[in-house]
Amino acid sequence: MKKTMKKTLGPVIGAALALALPFILRNGFDWNYGVQLACFFLLYAIAVSGLDILFGYAGQISLGHAAFFAIGAYGSVMLHQYANIPVFFSMIIAAAFATVVGAALAYPASKLVFHFLSLATIAFGEVVYQFVSQSPGSITGNFTGMFTQTVSLFGYKLNSFTKYYYFALAAAVILLVIKRNMIKSRVGRALIAIRENSHAAEGMGVNVRKYKIIAFAVSAFYTAYAGALYAHLVRYISPDTFAYKQSVMFMTMLLFGGTASIAGPMSGVLAVQALNECLRSAETYQMLIYGILLLTVIVVMPGGISGVVRDVAARIRYRKSGAAAAGDKKEEVDDHADN
Amino acid sequence: MLTTEHLTLKFGGLTANNDISLTINDGKITGLIGPNGAGKTTFFNAISGVYPPTSGTVTFDGVRIERKRPHEINELGITRTYQVINLFRKMSVVENVMVGMHDRLTQNFFQSIFKVGSERREEKEARERAYEWLKFVGLEKRASDLAGSLSYGEQRQLEIVRGLASNPKLILLDEPAAGMNSTEKEELNTLMGRILEKGVTIMLIEHDMKLVMNVTDYIYVLNYGKLLAQGTPAEVQNNPDVIAAYLGGD
Repeated sequence: MKKTMKKTLGPVIGAALALALPFILRNGFDWNYGVQLACFFLLYAIAVSGLDILFGYAGQISLGHAAFFAIGAYGSVMLHQYANIPVFFSMIIAAAFATVVGAALAYPASKLVFHFLSLATIAFGEVVYQFVSQSPGSITGNFTGMFTQTVSLFGYKLNSFTKYYYFALAAAVILLVIKRNMIKSRVGRALIAIRENSHAAEGMGVNVRKYKIIAFAVSAFYTAYAGALYAHLVRYISPDTFAYKQSVMFMTMLLFGGTASIAGPMSGVLAVQALNECLRSAETYQMLIYGILLLTVIVVMPGGISGVVRDVAARIRYRKSGAAAAGDKKEEVDDHADN
Repeated sequence: MLTTEHLTLKFGGLTANNDISLTINDGKITGLIGPNGAGKTTFFNAISGVYPPTSGTVTFDGVRIERKRPHEINELGITRTYQVINLFRKMSVVENVMVGMHDRLTQNFFQSIFKVGSERREEKEARERAYEWLKFVGLEKRASDLAGSLSYGEQRQLEIVRGLASNPKLILLDEPAAGMNSTEKEELNTLMGRILEKGVTIMLIEHDMKLVMNVTDYIYVLNYGKLLAQGTPAEVQNNPDVIAAYLGGD
C-alpha cells in the first residue's frame, strides 16, 4: 500500500508542477521570460529525445540533426506562407516530410559504421544548411530569414508564452510516452540489439537495415517537430540557428544528460540551458564551453547526469538493504549506467 | 533438411570453403570437425547468410537460401550460436531471449508505439515464454540481470536459448563447449539431447573430441576448406586421412 502510494506520488507531483509552472514563474516570480525558457526546454527536450532514439538506443551517431530541426522549422513556415496551410497542420506535415528524408538518408547510410556515419551526417547537415541559406529564388529568405506567426488551433491563437507552453507540453508528453512505449516493445529491443551487437541482431532475425531506417525516421520526426515548435515560438527563423553548432549542442545536451533513458535528455537540456543563461555575456565562447563540457562529461561521467543519479540511487538502496549477497548483483547492474 | 551442393566461398584469393557438398538430416546431430582454420565457422557463416557463397547452392527444406540475408534465413527456421560469444551484453537475460523471438512476434511498428491491447498481450506472453526458455537451461533466476554479468558457461547457455526462442528447425552450434568446465560440458551433452527432443535438428562445430564422438550421429571433417572425410563417429575416428590431418602426419 505504502509502496504504491510512493510510486504514484512522484508522477502526480511532477504533473502538477508541470501544469502549474507558467503560473508559478509568471505570477510567483513575475518572470515571463522564464515561461519562454520553459517552452524552449520542452522543444529541446523533444529534439534531444529524438536524437536519443537514434544514438542512445540504436547506437547510430548523427552530427547532422540540426538539418531535421531546420526541415521542421522551414518546412512548417514555408507551408504556412506559400500554401496557406494552418500552422498546426503545417508543423505535422513538415515533421512527416523530415521523417521521409530521415528514412531516405538512412537507406544508404545504414551500411556505414560509426565514424563514417558521423561524416555522412555532418555532410547532410551542411547540405541542408547551404540550401536554407542560399536557396533557389530565395524561397527560404536566405540570410535575411523568415518571419512567421504563432500556432493557431482552429482559430484559437496561442498568443502568449503560457498558452504556447501548454501546447508544447502536450506534444512533449505524447512524444515521450510514445518513446517509452517503443523502447518497451519488440521495436525497442531490436534497436538496442543493433546497438549492442548488430551482427548477432541480424542473426537473430532482426532486419538491421529496416530498423536503422526506422530509428532515423522516428528520430527525424521528433527533431523536426521540435524545429517547427521553435519556429512558431520565436516567429522568426534564419540559417544561423541551424548551423553545425546546433547539431553539436543537441549531442552535448544528450551526452550531458545521459543516453538511452527518458530523463537523460531532459536533464541534459535543463543543465545546458541553465549554463547558457548564466553565460549569456560570454556567447562568443559558447562552442568552446560546449567543447570543454563534452570532454568533461565523456571522461568524468560517461553516464551523464542521469547516470550519476542512477549510481547514487543504487548506492543508497544498496546501503539500505545492506544485504551483502544481493550486493554483488547490484554492482553489476550499476555498470549499465557507465555507457 | 539442409543440403549444400558444391558450396564454395572465396575471400579474394583465399578459398575458405571449397566445393563442399553435405547433408544435414532431420532429427539428428551432425558434427563438423577439422583443425583450426579449416573453414568450419566460415561454413556456418555461409549457410546462415553472413557471407553469401561465391558459388554452389544451399537448400533448406526445399527452399534455396544461398542468396538470402541472415534475418531471412533466421525466419525460415535456422538459428545459430557464435564461436565468440555475441550476446546483447547491456540487455537483461530475459530480453536477450525476447530478441530471439523477434520474428515470431507479430505486432507492427504502430501497434508497438501505441501499446494497443494486442501488443500488451503479446508482450506478456512473450515474456512468459522467454522465462520458460530460461528454465529450460536453468537461467530463470538470472532473468533480470544483465547478460554481460553471466559467467562464461551461462553466457553460452543463454546464446543457445536465445537461438531456440525463435522456434527453429535447425540450430547451428559453433563450439558451444569452448571454455566450459567438465560439469558444464556434461550438462551441455544432456541439453543437446533435450533440444533434439523438442524437434530441433543440430549441427555442431566442436573441438572437444570426446563430446563430438559421444553425441553426434554423423560427422563431416573439413581440412583446408575442403571436405576431407565423412561418416559415423567410429568411421571417422579410424579414417587414416583424418588422423593424419589432426596429427600433422603425411
